[in-house]
Amino acid sequence: MTTAATPILEVRGLAKRFPPRAGEAQSPQVLADLSFRVADQEFLTMVGPSGAGKSTLLNIIAQVDGASAGEIFFRGELIETTDTAALNPGWNCQIGYVTQDDNLLPWRTLIDNVTLPLKLQGRYNEETAERVQALLRATNLTGFERYYPHELSGGMRKRASLIRTLAYDPPIILMDEPFGAVDAQTRGQLQQDLLRLWDHGRKTIIFVTHDIGEAIALGDRVLVLSRSPAKVIAQHRIDIARPRNLGNLFKLDGFGDMFEAVRQQLQ
Amino acid sequence: MSIAIARPLPRLRRKRQLIPAGRIALGIAVLALWQLGTNIMGQEWLPGPADVLVRIWNITVSGQLLHDTAITFWEAAVGMALGGAAGALLPFLLRLSPRLMAALDPFISAAFGMPKLALAPLFILWFGIGIPAKIVFVASIVFFLMFYNGLAGIMSIDPKLVAMLRVAGASEWFISREIVWNTAKPFLFAGLKIALPRALSGAVVGEFIAADSGLGWYIQNARSFNDTTGVVAGAVVVTVLVIGVNAALKRVQTRSLAWRPVARDMMV
Repeated sequence: MTTAATPILEVRGLAKRFPPRAGEAQSPQVLADLSFRVADQEFLTMVGPSGAGKSTLLNIIAQVDGASAGEIFFRGELIETTDTAALNPGWNCQIGYVTQDDNLLPWRTLIDNVTLPLKLQGRYNEETAERVQALLRATNLTGFERYYPHELSGGMRKRASLIRTLAYDPPIILMDEPFGAVDAQTRGQLQQDLLRLWDHGRKTIIFVTHDIGEAIALGDRVLVLSRSPAKVIAQHRIDIARPRNLGNLFKLDGFGDMFEAVRQQLQ
Repeated sequence: MSIAIARPLPRLRRKRQLIPAGRIALGIAVLALWQLGTNIMGQEWLPGPADVLVRIWNITVSGQLLHDTAITFWEAAVGMALGGAAGALLPFLLRLSPRLMAALDPFISAAFGMPKLALAPLFILWFGIGIPAKIVFVASIVFFLMFYNGLAGIMSIDPKLVAMLRVAGASEWFISREIVWNTAKPFLFAGLKIALPRALSGAVVGEFIAADSGLGWYIQNARSFNDTTGVVAGAVVVTVLVIGVNAALKRVQTRSLAWRPVARDMMV
């Protein structure tokens, strides 16, 4: 699994088994000997069947959950993985996490939700406020700043959740099927928004999905995960030029073959 | 881009204007029924609305109403402040130690199950027939109502929101303030909605048992003279007091929970 010369993140031999439930001798293994590297500014997508342990993997990288075995290195530095008491969620705001649910605070308005991480980190100033305004414009959320989450559409909440993490600019951003729960048309728009934002200022992104088309359309590289216990079974480099226009992507040469190849591996 | 409707549509607004009209009609119907009952049963058995109104007017002019109301209200307010605040705060403290919570649980359930009215004579023995005994009585009732509602609030915290805030760099103290407090708030309001009327009725019931002033004493005193008009007048005053307290609570709640989509439905 060697790729770039300077991986910003490296995962080595990660394994995860949840504590057994009552009456259960041993719970099933979720991750087993999972290893991969991510280069700086790379857009890595991971595709795997539902229930393969993709969210668990991201939770462990984000330090929200601990691993049973294995190591994670951030810029060559070992991140604590197995000792749950020593976890440091977000690794001092170096790792952002856009989850499946938008997880907006329902009692805060859109703008208060988006600026909250910046305020928590003591970094809310004229410059970052301008950055937030630019992100709101780029995602068509200008004018809705004072709305509460329940007053916004599902797509708007997803975009708010996305720019909440982009606003504080962590070097690595994890995305867990962030566009899973919206309709196909909105999803296409959100994917295009994400690519445009990413072209503006390239970040390292680890994007997890079970949608093969999405994984190919967005990523520089696609990792294919096996059924649970998840491990990397294949990888594909995506050489579609950027900036990408998602509208005609499916007509491009090789897209269909790539799609079919990944689909075969997922069987 | 569909967004929720912030203001009711004109037709909806017109429909909502029907509500006050309906309330007035229902109020008149209740008064008419009351008067009918009086005509059938006789003034001695069920004093009519006019007589009750005259009595309320008389005790208002004499200053007795204000005096008794102030005493009952004070007992309910202080009992609510002490018992309610303690009950609302305890879940926040117990959250910090799940083991202490588990250990205390059966004791709190037992104390909740104990009938407070049965203990009222003891309270009077310990604190006298004055205001302090009623305050303790009220506090012992509302404490549990606020405690169990606050506990339900603490239990319904969304762990995903907590994880999100931690990743974004929030301290544990900020998480307590932001998520725990905001999650528990609607539950505490639901608790207040039950506890505030119970505090007032608790003070009145406390005064039934032994007192020398207050609305409960007024009702009890009237009863001992077979003054049914006085009994009903006292009951009406307590009811009006409860309605006033509910209206005040509703105003605070509307402002404080503006972010909730269900806020409007909750305001029954």
